[in-house]
Amino acid sequence: MSKSALLTLHQALRRSFQCLENKQKEWKSALSECTPLMGSLGNLAEQLRALSNVQISNTPLRDFPDLEEKLRFKLLHAADTVLGKLNEKMTFLQSVRDAVSNQVAGVIQLYEQNKDSLDLLTVIERSATIPSVADMLEWLQDADRHYRQQFLRRKTLMQTLRGDDLSLLESAPKRWKSLETAGADDHITDALCKVSFFMVSG
Amino acid sequence: MEGPQMRSANRKLCAVTGSARKIKDNAADWHNLKVRWDKLNDEGFQIAGNIINLKLNRSQSELHQQWVDEAPAPQSAPWQQAAGTADLLNECSKLHHILEKMAIIMVKMQRVMASQRGILDLEEFQFGRGGRKVPLFHSWNTKQLDEASQILFDAFSKELQLKHSILQELAHTATSDLCMVYLSCWLHEPFIPPQTRLILEALLLETGHRPI
Repeated sequence: MSKSALLTLHQALRRSFQCLENKQKEWKSALSECTPLMGSLGNLAEQLRALSNVQISNTPLRDFPDLEEKLRFKLLHAADTVLGKLNEKMTFLQSVRDAVSNQVAGVIQLYEQNKDSLDLLTVIERSATIPSVADMLEWLQDADRHYRQQFLRRKTLMQTLRGDDLSLLESAPKRWKSLETAGADDHITDALCKVSFFMVSG
Repeated sequence: MEGPQMRSANRKLCAVTGSARKIKDNAADWHNLKVRWDKLNDEGFQIAGNIINLKLNRSQSELHQQWVDEAPAPQSAPWQQAAGTADLLNECSKLHHILEKMAIIMVKMQRVMASQRGILDLEEFQFGRGGRKVPLFHSWNTKQLDEASQILFDAFSKELQLKHSILQELAHTATSDLCMVYLSCWLHEPFIPPQTRLILEALLLETGHRPI
């Protein structure tokens, strides 16, 4: 009985790591698409700042009395468009986070259901090509936590961009970049490496 | 009383000759002229950016010269300054050239608008003040088509005036904030609001260039 439970669990773990591998790529791709959008946003904020700093009536542009208002409208309109696209990306990132979460929750639940037929020794037993069930579950949970945290931080940043606060818009690209610590998802890449033999066996 | 089939057949015939054909062509002209305008705008923006960069580099090197008064001035400095001025003049004349092309587009836009006005006058002559009873296309009457043309023309015309001002001032501007504002104005075209582009799209929809 223990053997079949272990087999089922192994199959579920393989599916989970396959899912994780795909989702990691999707996440990275979506994030890389956010970078130029954030750049545009910073750019527009810079332009809005310059417009605020200039007294149009003291410049040769005074011949166009409604220029400031119209330019500000255009810049804000462009910023809205960029924010719309960023929000689309955020929705996608949310779906990636949810997919990972669901997958991990599923495999944990399977473990919970079968834990009576799996003794401690089975769970922590590892071989050269197959990591232990305990390790694999831990790696999956770490990955889940990583994406939850990352999404939360990025979502919080995006929420701050709602207001008309120009300084928040200006600092957005820098703050966004700071969320991307080098090697943040190295542990996921490592885990995928460690299970690579496991994935092709069985 | 015309049946619905007859009406649409009449409309099809109208689209081949006469006022409807002319209006349809005008709408196509508007679209093509706008596409050319946008292309010139992008080219102009690149050149305007170059002008700003050249100016900034020059003012930085002038600032550097002020600081380095004791040290022997590098022999290439006057040569570099001259080259910088030549580049700046070159870019300014390129921008001037872009504006000349945009002015040509404006002339063509004026022709389209005049043609539209002519069609409206003809219709008033043929059908009286109220104009045609049945619209030539889906729902707009000729007056509305004429007004749309007028709105488009006014927007582009004002924008061209702004661009002329920018050309005159760009190379002489002191502060970087004002330079940024000039560049913003060029790129974002404040006098061509999103509504203008929507009106053009509506015109294309109405005259059958875009499927409904």
